[in-house]
Amino acid sequence: MALRAVVRILSELCITVGILIVLFVVHLLYWTGVRADNASDDEIARLQKEWSSGSVRGEGGPAGKAGGADPSPGSGRDDGEGQPREGVGSGADPRGRSSAGQAFRDGKSFAVMYIPRFGRDWSRPVLENTRAATLRKGLGHYSRTAGPGQRGNFAVAGHRRTYGDPFKDFPKLRPGDHVFVTDGDTWYTYTLTRRPYRTLPGDTGVLDPVPAPVNKAATPFDRPGRYLTLTTCDPEWGSSHRLIAWARLDATRPATEGKPDALTR
Amino acid sequence: MYGWIWRHLPGNVYVRALISLVLVVGVVFLLFQYVFPWAEPLLPFNDVTVDGAAGSVGAAGSVAEIAGGAV
Repeated sequence: MALRAVVRILSELCITVGILIVLFVVHLLYWTGVRADNASDDEIARLQKEWSSGSVRGEGGPAGKAGGADPSPGSGRDDGEGQPREGVGSGADPRGRSSAGQAFRDGKSFAVMYIPRFGRDWSRPVLENTRAATLRKGLGHYSRTAGPGQRGNFAVAGHRRTYGDPFKDFPKLRPGDHVFVTDGDTWYTYTLTRRPYRTLPGDTGVLDPVPAPVNKAATPFDRPGRYLTLTTCDPEWGSSHRLIAWARLDATRPATEGKPDALTR
Repeated sequence: MYGWIWRHLPGNVYVRALISLVLVVGVVFLLFQYVFPWAEPLLPFNDVTVDGAAGSVGAAGSVAEIAGGAV
């Protein structure tokens, strides 16, 4: 009789553990995506409400000193390797009013990113810092890097898998692909310069103002400018490596002029 | 253990089944809401954003790891 009880309890334990594992996989593969999509939509809705109400926000970012005083880069492509032409096109400098440079609020969204390569409707909020809890809601901005459109490197991390799979198609990025970022005042158009670069998690040089990866041959830029760095993990379901994509600021336009043409087509 | 719970639920079969269902739903809710989000970063296959490193405001050139992108 005692043996029966032991066997029964063991069996029930095994079944329980099995159910737990299945539930956990469901949570990871499905539920985190549902939660992340909801959180992303909430953040974007909140941002758009905030922007439409016209509240003056600080947008200098942690590196506000770098960008605040600069004139806004002009619309139109630049031919050089470095920064876009300055002061052409966008006469009204939208950043003038907040050149004091207020830090982004930790864990809060401050911009929305669009990457047409990931799908016509692909958009994700960009939140300040890259903690796990932050990346559950959207993309995370490396706090120590520049803000969008600023001189330096605007670096953003995102999940490859789980939590909405924002960067699932990362390896499909190609040179010439556009990344659009808006902070409510300005649309920034970044253009990718090369295919995603695969590296190790310790290769933090990729986040430098002028990205300096360990593999010198992969160095994307040779002079200071306004850059964007996207990071995600590799392989798809692992985290032994990182994939990096670099882009250069190509154009800006005031938010009042509406979305860039590539997003409305 | 499940038999033990069943025997200690009040009411007839239908009431017991209903209570069991509520219990199951409650346990699943607790798991999804609290236990899994807590356990997930502890598991090695989701070893992603290096705590405090990538998110912290490190000095320039700090050895913080690149936040990954987590699975």
